[in-house]
Amino acid sequence: MGTVHAKSLDPLPMHGRDLDVHPEDFMETPDQGQDSKQEILENKDVVVQHVNIQGLGRTKEDLLGYEISDVFHAKNLIDVMKRAHVARQRLLRLGIFKDVEVLIDTSEGTDALPNGLDVTFEVTEVKRLTGSYNTMVGNNEGSMSCLFDRGVFVTLCNVSQVLGLKLPNMLGRAEKLTFQFSYGTKETSYGLSFFKPQPGHFERNLTLNMYKVTGQFPWSSLKETDRGVSAELNFPLGVTNHTLKWEGVWRELGCLARSASFAVREESGHSLKSALSHTVSVDSRNSAIFPSRGALLRINQELAGYTGGDASFLKEDFELQLNRRLFWDSVLSASLWGGMLYPIGGQASCIADRFYLGGPTSVRGFGMYSIGPQSEGDYLGGEAYWAGGLHLYTPLPFRPGKGGFGDLFRTHFFLNAGNLCNLSYGDGPRAHLQKLAECIRWSYGAGIVLRLGNIARLELNYCVPMGVQSGDRICDGVQFGAGIRFL
Amino acid sequence: MSLAAEAFMSQMAAAEPWPENATLYQPLKEDQILLSDCASSLAVQAYLRMCGLPVQVFCRANAEYMSPSGKIPFIHVGNQVVSELGPIVQFTKAKGHSLSDGLDDVQRAEMKAYMELVNNMLLTAELYIQWCDDSTATEISRPRYSSPYSWPLNKILAYQKQWEVRRKMNAIGWGGKTLEQVYEDVSQCCQALSQRLGTQSYFFNKQPTELDALVFGHLFTILTTRLTSTELAERVKSYSNLLSFCRRIEQTYFEDKSS
Repeated sequence: MGTVHAKSLDPLPMHGRDLDVHPEDFMETPDQGQDSKQEILENKDVVVQHVNIQGLGRTKEDLLGYEISDVFHAKNLIDVMKRAHVARQRLLRLGIFKDVEVLIDTSEGTDALPNGLDVTFEVTEVKRLTGSYNTMVGNNEGSMSCLFDRGVFVTLCNVSQVLGLKLPNMLGRAEKLTFQFSYGTKETSYGLSFFKPQPGHFERNLTLNMYKVTGQFPWSSLKETDRGVSAELNFPLGVTNHTLKWEGVWRELGCLARSASFAVREESGHSLKSALSHTVSVDSRNSAIFPSRGALLRINQELAGYTGGDASFLKEDFELQLNRRLFWDSVLSASLWGGMLYPIGGQASCIADRFYLGGPTSVRGFGMYSIGPQSEGDYLGGEAYWAGGLHLYTPLPFRPGKGGFGDLFRTHFFLNAGNLCNLSYGDGPRAHLQKLAECIRWSYGAGIVLRLGNIARLELNYCVPMGVQSGDRICDGVQFGAGIRFL
Repeated sequence: MSLAAEAFMSQMAAAEPWPENATLYQPLKEDQILLSDCASSLAVQAYLRMCGLPVQVFCRANAEYMSPSGKIPFIHVGNQVVSELGPIVQFTKAKGHSLSDGLDDVQRAEMKAYMELVNNMLLTAELYIQWCDDSTATEISRPRYSSPYSWPLNKILAYQKQWEVRRKMNAIGWGGKTLEQVYEDVSQCCQALSQRLGTQSYFFNKQPTELDALVFGHLFTILTTRLTSTELAERVKSYSNLLSFCRRIEQTYFEDKSS
């Protein structure tokens, strides 16, 4: 009666998708000449009598009961190992343990059955308080967008210090309290976030946020300060993932320079937005950054004005991405974005709610958000847009650094197109479609893409913009882009 | 504004004549505008009418935030945005319209001194009464200032403005004054103006100047605005030549508007 020690595995990534992992991949192969023994192991009935968790400090046991209860249903030894592995994955995804080791032993004690097993999970809890301090250098998307899923804002040539404090597993049931403070040359932002999953159903969770974010938008000569609170509920339904969110934001808009156009000056001032939004997403891709197969569909709608506040509109936008592997490790990727903003109650839409198009993260070859309606060089955004992209990703030619560093890079050839305009809602859908179909901006080119972790990517492209309308600002030639969400 | 910026603006302004579509922006007249802003706006409107320059008045809820200096009113002429009476006078001068060209240096200095008096006394008294007097602030100023916004933004903005004005009052030494003292200051200011005006039609010669516009703006607004008490209006009414001065300017320059 020896002990079977399931090998402890490297921790799996908590965010972002990665290749599927199957328990069979990690099973220790039995010693040579033990085939007959393996057969016995597979066929012998066992009963799991006890499942213990050792090493708990502040974590409450009732939370973990859900994750490990499945182990009791194992029928034979191989089954026990599989289910124990799955339970280990579930414990790790809670984000409250640094390490989990599984120990399977024959049961001992007065009530031990001859074929009884005891499974023990030895866990190491994460520290009560973790901090991080980073310096972020001028990128195309703000640090806050990672944490709070805010809209994009740009800081050009900005160096900001980001201080983060995290209290994981605060009350013992995988709650998390996060505080982030970002101090830069042009902006100061901070935010507090509380995350609480439902015990037993980690995918159903509640997040409460409180934040103040300052952003500068040089393409519109606009600066915006948002102070807000939000409450967000995530839950899965079948293959889809839903998010329901209420957000209350006090927005303060101002001119970035004395030379701002009068259209932007007219938007200065304070407003209050209280909005309910719903997002449904279906994601079958095998990776968030360089997927080789699968599709993503995300539909978002936002209704503002019915829970108070000054802003009153209905906003819809969707994102679709399809990926397919072609010959020789190359991947063909097609994406389509679109959106519409419908102001309710007769008032005009606010510049902070409208859509923007153009730049290294959407239609490449054009200046950042520099497509569409503008006044004296300041881009005002539009109430409806669509954008599409067709990409061919291939590994680097001659595959330098294959298996390691080289795998983070791809070359890509792209074709982007899009349009942005304002709609006059009296006209009807046919006129709208016509308006969106005329004066299409498009571009093509090639470049190199670098993957950063599981969330972001950098691009260096050579772009040729076409279909340029008067008023658009182009960036033909080499264009650099960094961000999270790319067309 | 710095000298360099002034010079630059003069150069830009001189290039074009006064357009037909010049506009003036102020807060909403019925529900939002307060005494001090209304006085400043009326002063600018009177000045422009005296110069014979047409301007259209637009009311916007966010006029205060649209203004480049944060003060009301501001005018949008061609490509340029200019706020407050002083810079607007400079701006029109660069375009060749001026009311004080006929004055000699002594008179000009006197005019500037009286304008400073009105700004330091009358305008500050108006701000004090609006924001530092609790009953006026609670019944009139805060509700009006925050009327375009919804809860809780209206409360936040109103209190923010009140704290800002009170801080400014403390900084210039008016924080410790009582309402009676403020009324006394207003009376003294009116007395000085009344003495200077005497029996003349306008403050200098027979032609109005920017001083006349400024005094008219403040006094007319005080006389026609309803506050929690009529004390302020009474103090002004006790100087009959100022009353007739206001009536004269109203009839001469605002006749079509008021009828």
